[in-house]
Amino acid sequence: MQHNKLLILVFALVALVQIYVPAKMVYDSEVVLDQGTAYKFRTAPIDPTDPFRGKYITLRFDIDEFEIDTSEVWERGEVVYVELTTDSLGYAKIAAISRTKPYEDVDFVQAKVRYASNRYSTLHIEYPFNRFYMEESKAYDAERAYWDAARDRETDCYALVHVKNGEPLVKDVLIDEVPIRELVIMNNAAAEAAELENSKN
Amino acid sequence: MNKKLSTDLSALIEAEIIDIRTAIKIQEFYKGQSGKSQNRLVILFGILGALLMGLGIILIIAHNWDEMSRLSKTVIAFAPLLLGQLIAGWAMIKKKTSVAWREGATTFLFFAVGASISLISQIYNIPGDLGAFLQTWAILCLPLVYLLRSSAGSLLYIIGISWYATEVGWSYKNHSEVYWYWLMLLAILPHYYMLYKKQPRSNFMTFHNWVVPISLLFTLSTVALEMGELMFVAYISLLGLFYIIGTNKFFAQQKRINNGYAAIGALGTTSLLLSLSFDWFWEEIAGHKNTWIEMASSPEGIAIILLTIAAGTLLYFFNRMKAIKNIKPISFVFLLFIPTFVLGTYFPVAGFVIVNLIILVLGLMTIQRGAEEDNLGIMNYGLIILTGLIACRFFDSDISFVVRGVLFMTLGLGFFATNYWMLNKRKTQAHAA
Repeated sequence: MQHNKLLILVFALVALVQIYVPAKMVYDSEVVLDQGTAYKFRTAPIDPTDPFRGKYITLRFDIDEFEIDTSEVWERGEVVYVELTTDSLGYAKIAAISRTKPYEDVDFVQAKVRYASNRYSTLHIEYPFNRFYMEESKAYDAERAYWDAARDRETDCYALVHVKNGEPLVKDVLIDEVPIRELVIMNNAAAEAAELENSKN
Repeated sequence: MNKKLSTDLSALIEAEIIDIRTAIKIQEFYKGQSGKSQNRLVILFGILGALLMGLGIILIIAHNWDEMSRLSKTVIAFAPLLLGQLIAGWAMIKKKTSVAWREGATTFLFFAVGASISLISQIYNIPGDLGAFLQTWAILCLPLVYLLRSSAGSLLYIIGISWYATEVGWSYKNHSEVYWYWLMLLAILPHYYMLYKKQPRSNFMTFHNWVVPISLLFTLSTVALEMGELMFVAYISLLGLFYIIGTNKFFAQQKRINNGYAAIGALGTTSLLLSLSFDWFWEEIAGHKNTWIEMASSPEGIAIILLTIAAGTLLYFFNRMKAIKNIKPISFVFLLFIPTFVLGTYFPVAGFVIVNLIILVLGLMTIQRGAEEDNLGIMNYGLIILTGLIACRFFDSDISFVVRGVLFMTLGLGFFATNYWMLNKRKTQAHAA
């Protein structure tokens, strides 16, 4: 009987740990959303031949390159810390990139080095928050809307990213201040209405 | 089926071959047997049912996802996890003796844990690292295997850690992470041992006897760092180790299909040898000039040393009571291969010739054993090995077509001749009897 009680106790412990892992993820994310600073990461046009990823859309940002001193050697996959600030239009801008974590009162995110171009003295980086999950039926249309908006420089297309203590969180993707989910719903509704019109005539 | 048995038994009673008491005993025996197979079905359906229910719930929720608030999505993400834990707890307390309950509950909870973590990641768009996710998932579910004594859980765990190992091992990541797999594999071995002791003839044991070697087959490659060619030697030793494990008397009384170790060891060794029988391989390795110290201290080198010692030790302990000629020939291949490899780095031609000779001898010995044991399957397997060897040389060398044609015809004739001779021998033996 003692043995039994011990097993049950251990199981309860294991169950708590199993709950703790996703719960901590929720807590940390909510903290970032609540207390973090919101940055608008302007999106870059994606090469249309990128493979469609299904349940999420892939994001690429304007600020994924930065001018550097060519005397330094950067390795592919190396972790770097990107200090953020805002430009005159309200979009996120890279203030500096370093190999060490900045001090506490500066907003930064972690990123990985994609490659360094000595010719143009630029460092190309990859942000970890490059996915925005969407419900399956909307994902494809959303990605198309996103591509079109990103390529068209007149449109205001950006990802709203909350940052706290170096932890980033993509809150939403907006095209001309309309959240992309709503935009897709609107587009689909408009398309359906147009079809109805056509079939009537 | 019972009707047929009853009619058969009545016929036997009438013919006075068995008496009524024996007939009753026979019926009781078969009833007990079908009880066992029914149990197995219940377990299987329990596991399948749990799987399908889990998937169904996921699909329904996915459809309505967008209309929900973040809070409701989070609640839903935890629901399967909590439900699974309740079911597992119930199984642990009230249904301890039911295999179906334990296995079904563990399977459901296993997937619920994975689902809850990945759902939360999707809700909050948390950047995902597949390797870390798999590792966390596996570690969170490992205790369940021991708490609920679940073999389905164990198999899922092994698959999980193998996926984790290949995910981190085959990408541009930090190489030292691959060693976690071996530690995690160690953690599941007690359960494997328990199966061996308590349920050696069960289906679960058989599944483990296949899943574990297959997992190792994939994950050994993740150890490779700079000296990839050395992995061939490591693999020959690994396959040799598998084969020798398969020759243990534990497997002797079981069906051949239960013996994953022997099957993978034999097939793997012959295929690997065949691919090493090409001269381009030996030209390749002759080019590399590392010192012996460098090779021995590399991860690949250490793998070779450990595997060879393990295989050699088992080879000795399993076979010390047997005469040399009674030991299966494949067991020795790994011992021969290491000096061959060493020689080959200096004289590629020697390596090439020796490997071909090894395959030739293996094929011939297998044919001979097939003839001795009167086993058509083994004999033809030997012939297939020879065919494979000749086919490889066919594509390899610049021998004229005529010679190749003659070789193949000879081989074909050999197939016919040996099979005909064997069947004839059986006929005359049957006549004599």
